[in-house]
Amino acid sequence: MLYLLLVLFPISMAASTFVLRKNSELVIFMALGSVLAEMLIAAQIPLDNPSLFLGVTLTLNTLNRMFMLLFLAIGGFAFVGAWNLPHGESFVPIGLLLLSQVCAVLLLQNPFISTLLLALSGLTAVLVMVDLPANTSRLVGTQAIAAALKYMVMMVVAAILMYIAFVLATIFRIGELPGRIPLSRFILALLGASFSLRLAIIPFHAWLSDLVEHAEPLVAALVITLLNMSSLLVLLVSFQTFPTLLTDNGGPLRMMRYGAMISALIGAGLALGPGSLRRTIAYLILYDCGMVFYGLSSVSSIGLAGAVFGALNQTLAVLLILVSLALVERPDGRTPGIARRDLLRRWPVAGTGLLAGGLALVGIPPLSGAMGRLLIYQAAAENGWPELLVLLAATVLALLALIRTANERLLGSGEDEVVPEPLMLGETELDRPAPRQLAPEPRSTAALTLILMLICLTVGLYPGPLLTTIDGAIRELAFIRAL
Amino acid sequence: MLLFRDWRLTIPALLLNYIALALFLAEQQFIASDMDFFGGMSTLVMVKMITGLAVTSILSITALTFSREYGLENLDEFGLAELRRAARTAQRRQASQPFHLNDYIMPFWAGVLALFASTTLPYIYAIAPTPAADFAWYWLVFTGVLTIATASDLLKIGLGLLLCTSGIDILYTAVVSTVKEGGLNVIPLVLLSQFHILLSLAIAYLCGLLYGRLKTLELNELYKQ
Repeated sequence: MLYLLLVLFPISMAASTFVLRKNSELVIFMALGSVLAEMLIAAQIPLDNPSLFLGVTLTLNTLNRMFMLLFLAIGGFAFVGAWNLPHGESFVPIGLLLLSQVCAVLLLQNPFISTLLLALSGLTAVLVMVDLPANTSRLVGTQAIAAALKYMVMMVVAAILMYIAFVLATIFRIGELPGRIPLSRFILALLGASFSLRLAIIPFHAWLSDLVEHAEPLVAALVITLLNMSSLLVLLVSFQTFPTLLTDNGGPLRMMRYGAMISALIGAGLALGPGSLRRTIAYLILYDCGMVFYGLSSVSSIGLAGAVFGALNQTLAVLLILVSLALVERPDGRTPGIARRDLLRRWPVAGTGLLAGGLALVGIPPLSGAMGRLLIYQAAAENGWPELLVLLAATVLALLALIRTANERLLGSGEDEVVPEPLMLGETELDRPAPRQLAPEPRSTAALTLILMLICLTVGLYPGPLLTTIDGAIRELAFIRAL
Repeated sequence: MLLFRDWRLTIPALLLNYIALALFLAEQQFIASDMDFFGGMSTLVMVKMITGLAVTSILSITALTFSREYGLENLDEFGLAELRRAARTAQRRQASQPFHLNDYIMPFWAGVLALFASTTLPYIYAIAPTPAADFAWYWLVFTGVLTIATASDLLKIGLGLLLCTSGIDILYTAVVSTVKEGGLNVIPLVLLSQFHILLSLAIAYLCGLLYGRLKTLELNELYKQ
């Protein structure tokens, strides 16, 4: 069965690459081959053709296939980035394991199983967060351990809340227990809390800022792109499975929208405040998570389309921005320990990637974030102009934060221009030390950054085909038709 | 598990918890028995006991091998000096920490609060088919949450997470087994047991890493760095 192959093949390749993990080039090639094979298998699976396995339905719809191909591509890009960028010894095997779990989440339409798979993927991510390169002479950082612990606790608590919500939803009947707190509100509150934890909505955001600050950028990219976005799709599945939760629950949904707006606003505000480059990027991602969650909570076809498009954009933009960050943080041949201001001049491709990724996150045209953001603004306008104003204010703050960061770290004048001194008496040119030549950006990673930028630009300039697919998939959702 | 800090007490208590969970499921008969021996028990009960044994074995072996050093051959002099400094600090702190009754007051009252909530909530908001099942899952989840909240070391946080997971295990089995259509499915039950085991592996891995780095599991030391 192709469905089982999609899930089990990466697990077997993960085992093989784990055994061979000391030979990192071979392992990266194996992983790239696995990802390509997975993409071919996913492309061949017939859509909406359910199959039963041990009492559980496996099926692939249009939206899930689109995201599956995207996640596999993101995984492939991450493995290409691992060629030159720092990563742990077991990064590739654990990456393959995560891809397998995410494929299983997208294939299974059972909310209980999806919850447990998301929880298992969270535990798998903990292993890669504290991983060190092979034969390294440094100790594991205590801050990395603290970040991994925080992530594990929050993901397990989110899984527990989600599981309780789905158990209650299974026995929920409309009109039961009249005169008391409606069970549907309690279930929606549990789901809202659990997905806020998973999607790093303020005040449950601490794990994301610590992850970006203390883990390797490639690891943070895999966790945020694969696990966060698959959580979003599980939320859509849960609305699809329990549409009665959304009827007559305007109040709780409004609270979720307000929470998302506040998260976007505070995230953008924190990004504007002083902080390291990593912290600023983390807060920009938080702002984007808030915007996407707003689109989800609006539960309208426009809002959901904006949320899905925003999720797609976030996947691309986060990978671009974190790969560029990893490139920019490489030892550059100059004196270490000094916060440089000329990163664009020193690393032109990585600097441009940082800028482009940031602009895509903020939703500035002509990059990929613009269309999704426009749809979310439209959904906000349908709910009233105050909500639209808050989202626009958050976007302005995020843009200011990006401009401030670019000014402080990227656009400064060159710092390694040495003014040649005149020759001393009796000195010749041969007596002078050779001029310092700083290493350029590694070609494969620079090519990867350029490809990601090109994809962001293409999606931004020609969003039509994607938007048609997303719109069609959203309109087919039963709870949208019911609402 | 809520009161004590020594792993020699808390890990056997976790094993007792899993045995009690299995006996509770056997007694409540949420699933019909399908085994002739052990007085007519269901396979699920055996699975829960084996899961509990696996979880406590993983944690016990990790705790017993804390003092072993791994991967020292790759470290340079700075790394080795850092490890020696951490060992000295941990030893000094252990020697200067006398017994304080105050350390047990908050966990004790947290336990009382959890007991009060677990006995009251089954009558205010009953969810499971029987009051005993409601009490069991509320009690496990509340003690788990309060263990996490009052934890001073990493192992206690892990034990709290395992208690919460046991609670939702009972909730799922008790509630979904009453649903006529669909009902319990083998894959979520398998994944729940797998989740217990992988969670214990993750906790053991993090504990081993932290102890190897700082020679202590205290969260104060982790967040002081």
